[in-house]
Formats: sequence, C-alpha cells, structure tokens
Amino acid sequence: MQRPLSAAFGWLVLAALPAHAQDGTRVQVSGEIIDTWCYYSGVMGGPDAVVGTAHHTCALWCSAGGIPVGILAEDGTVYTVLKVDEDDQAAGGDTLLSLASYYVTADAMLYERDGLKYLVVGRVEAAPEITNLTHLDYGPVPGFAIPDPAK
Amino acid sequence: MIARIAALACLLAFPVAAQDFSAGSEAKPWNLYAEQPARFEARVVDLLCTFTGNCPEDCGAGRRQLGLERVADGVLVLPMKNAQPAFSGAAVDLVPYCNQTVEVDGLMIVDPDLGADNIYLVQRIKPSGGDWTAANRWTRDWADNNPDAPGKGPWFRRSPRILAEIERNGYLGLGPEADAAYIKELFK
Repeated sequence: MQRPLSAAFGWLVLAALPAHAQDGTRVQVSGEIIDTWCYYSGVMGGPDAVVGTAHHTCALWCSAGGIPVGILAEDGTVYTVLKVDEDDQAAGGDTLLSLASYYVTADAMLYERDGLKYLVVGRVEAAPEITNLTHLDYGPVPGFAIPDPAK
Repeated sequence: MIARIAALACLLAFPVAAQDFSAGSEAKPWNLYAEQPARFEARVVDLLCTFTGNCPEDCGAGRRQLGLERVADGVLVLPMKNAQPAFSGAAVDLVPYCNQTVEVDGLMIVDPDLGADNIYLVQRIKPSGGDWTAANRWTRDWADNNPDAPGKGPWFRRSPRILAEIERNGYLGLGPEADAAYIKELFK
C-alpha cells in the first residue's frame, strides 16, 4: 500500500512552534487520527466502532467535510487539532485528510479550555500503516461506506 | 451589599456546565445519546487566533476551525457540525459572522464518558438585527467550488480528493490489495 505523502518521509521537520503562545503547554501526544464528531456523538455507533479501518472512509468524508480532526490518545483523551506545521486548514485540509486513521506522534502546543483540549502541532510522525483493524469486528461503519461494486 | 455578595457566591458555587440553554430552542433532534437542545448568544471566534494570537481578519475564510464564545458565561463552545446530514462541519456556515456576536440554535453534546464537553451541532444562526439562517451552506459551497466533480450522488461519493485517497489506500486504508480481497468477501 502507499502511505500518505505526509507520512512517507517519517519525521517531518517543520517550522518552530509559536514562541508567543499564551497559556499553552508544550507536549508530545501519540494516538490515532480520528473523526471527532462521530466519536463524540455516537451517530455512527459506539466509540470502538468509529475508529480504525472500519471507519476509515467515513473519517475521510468527515475530514474533507471540515469536521474537526482529533488525536485519540491511548488513555482515551481526545485532542482537537487546529494546525499542522504551516497548514492552518484544520477545516477540510489536505494534511489532516492524508493522516486519517493513522497512529501518529505529534509535538505540539496544548491549549485547554472549557473541558476540551486543542493542539497546535509543529511536527508529526505517522506510522507506516494503519494498524487498528476494526473492520474485522464491525465491518464498514457506516454500512454504506463501501459501495457494492455490482450495483 | 452583603446579600448581593452572598447571592453572587451562590451563583458561583454552581458549575457552568449545569446551566440550561434549552429555553426557546427549536432544534430538531438527531436522537443522539447525549444531545441537548441549546440556544444562546455567542461571539464567533477563530480558535487559532484565540490560542496563539495569529489572527487573520477573515478568521481563515473557512479554512480554520471556529469557536462560539458564549455571551452568558464566556464558555468556549466547539461547533463541530452543521445542520446537514452530509459529513459537513460548521466553519463554512459560521465564517460569514467572524468576530460577530450571533444567536445560535442547535444541539449540545455533553458526554463525560467520552470527554465530550461543549460540543455543538449548529442548526441555525441569527446575526444581530437579522433573521435566522439555516446552517446548511456546506454542500452548496462544495458544489460551487467543485463544478466539474464527476459522477452521481452526494458530494462525498464524488469528491476528487476523497476518491484519490480511496484509490491510493482503499476504503479501509490498508491498500488496494487488502481492500479488494475484503470487498470480494463482503459482497459475495
């Protein structure tokens, strides 16, 4: 399989994080790039079904549709991504689209406000492959994500 | 004076999240597990600007994620979704009101089990002195920007960007070979 362009070079050496950021904390966050709306709302199913391969196509749709993209850490924390390197297109941009469902490690500034955590990412490393094989348990989520080739 | 201070102390004793913003809401239910109708006044803000001080005048013209800073309590609400059942976010609908105070109506998602707090689906927007507008601009905006997108059906079946991703990595993201084998099994 082909890896997304942004992951193909391993560590991306990106611009320095803003030095003037207020009330932010420099962090390194690891987790899966997820579709935040489906995860939080349950509109497509439970939290285990709306991550990984089962939900990959829907994650592409939601990312391209401008729904916020998040990083789901292993402790269950969700971080909403506002920027990656110089790409501030967190609403439908190519960088985040190409990372859908991948496990990533991000160097970022963390901002917390009113119960939510936001990341301004300066550097991101993506795993070479998507490894959360949820389609084996749930099939495609939603069920119509994969069209019947015979129709 | 002492009574006023005591009353203020009582108000402050209650958590902000306990406030009810359902009064006057005409939000349509989506039958989501943790949805609550919520209508409130808020300032439309650019989230990157709010946190980093990087503040283009146009709030990013739809590129950036926007927030709703609620007038009543200063809480920053994250509008993740517009009113369309079409995998569409809220930034395109809110950006015309960049840095303006508007009234919004929609569904709030609060689900402590998932860490969901102040997550919002905006269904309609009312600018100061204006009328309510449905938050359903996204698909029209996409159609205007993609007049030559091939095929039939909804935008997400025709988006060249999405089609390119699926061609490269498949519907599962595992690559064309794994995808083909799975689809063969799925539809046999």
